[in-house]
Amino acid sequence: MREATIIANVKIAVIDEDVIVRDFIVSTLMYSVNREILTFDDGFDAWIYFEDKGFPDMIVADVSLQEVDGLALVPKIKKASPETIVVLFSEVPGNETKAREQGADVFLAKPFGVNELFNLVQTFVVEQDPAGDTSPHA
Amino acid sequence: MRESLPEKRVGPVNGTLLLSREVFEMLRLGSKPENMREMELDDIFISRLQLLIIMTKSYLNKYPLGGYRERSIIENAALVKADAEGMAEDIEFFGLDENSSTGLDFEPVFYQRVKLLAVMAEAFAKGHSLEDHKQDALKKNLNTICEAITFSKTISDMQFLKVA
Repeated sequence: MREATIIANVKIAVIDEDVIVRDFIVSTLMYSVNREILTFDDGFDAWIYFEDKGFPDMIVADVSLQEVDGLALVPKIKKASPETIVVLFSEVPGNETKAREQGADVFLAKPFGVNELFNLVQTFVVEQDPAGDTSPHA
Repeated sequence: MRESLPEKRVGPVNGTLLLSREVFEMLRLGSKPENMREMELDDIFISRLQLLIIMTKSYLNKYPLGGYRERSIIENAALVKADAEGMAEDIEFFGLDENSSTGLDFEPVFYQRVKLLAVMAEAFAKGHSLEDHKQDALKKNLNTICEAITFSKTISDMQFLKVA
């Protein structure tokens, strides 16, 4: 059995104006990593916070946001903090291509569930034992 | 904090993460394009119930908790319990919704079982130890609920649950 550890003090932010979906994502991620999860209901407030307090390791954002939407956020985040992993989610199929073009790391198609969020944690937040499998999608 | 992450990230390899655009295409997760739609309350209920089941199985497997995990369990259990009560009342007044796009058509007794699961989850998250006979009842209730919903992942797949 491979050893797994969660990145020390991992910081994750969730941005969504739909509080029901956002709280579900937060509950799942908080349980997964046993850490506080930052939450925002619009892209502008999130951006101001990140510029002031620093960028998290992972940002999970809805494409549809007030003022600064998820698609507009991606290049700004990647320019300011290239190592931050940006996950965009949407119910609109056409947004997948737009997310890729903007440089998102992950596109999460609605509806999604616990498995997809666990997959995010397993892929990007867990450090594997050096002797473990080396495939990022294993 | 971010200094703790390696500069070059190429996936969860050898204690490093990886995410270099040259070698790592955008990852796609979730519904197929033809099935994409807005998430409804039924979707959230089922997802939160699955999360509660995983939380409970992790507890029964003696996986470590922690302050934020306890808080997450308590909050999730409260929401699942409230939704289950509401859905049971809806069935009582309106009958089963055969037109639900998410296919939820559980009998009222299912929601009673879900409420019981939520109450027990809240109890162990608050530090109340469950005696053996209560743990047996919890497992039996959990198995009955799991038979009614689809699950594609086992908690042994999720190694991060074994650390806090």
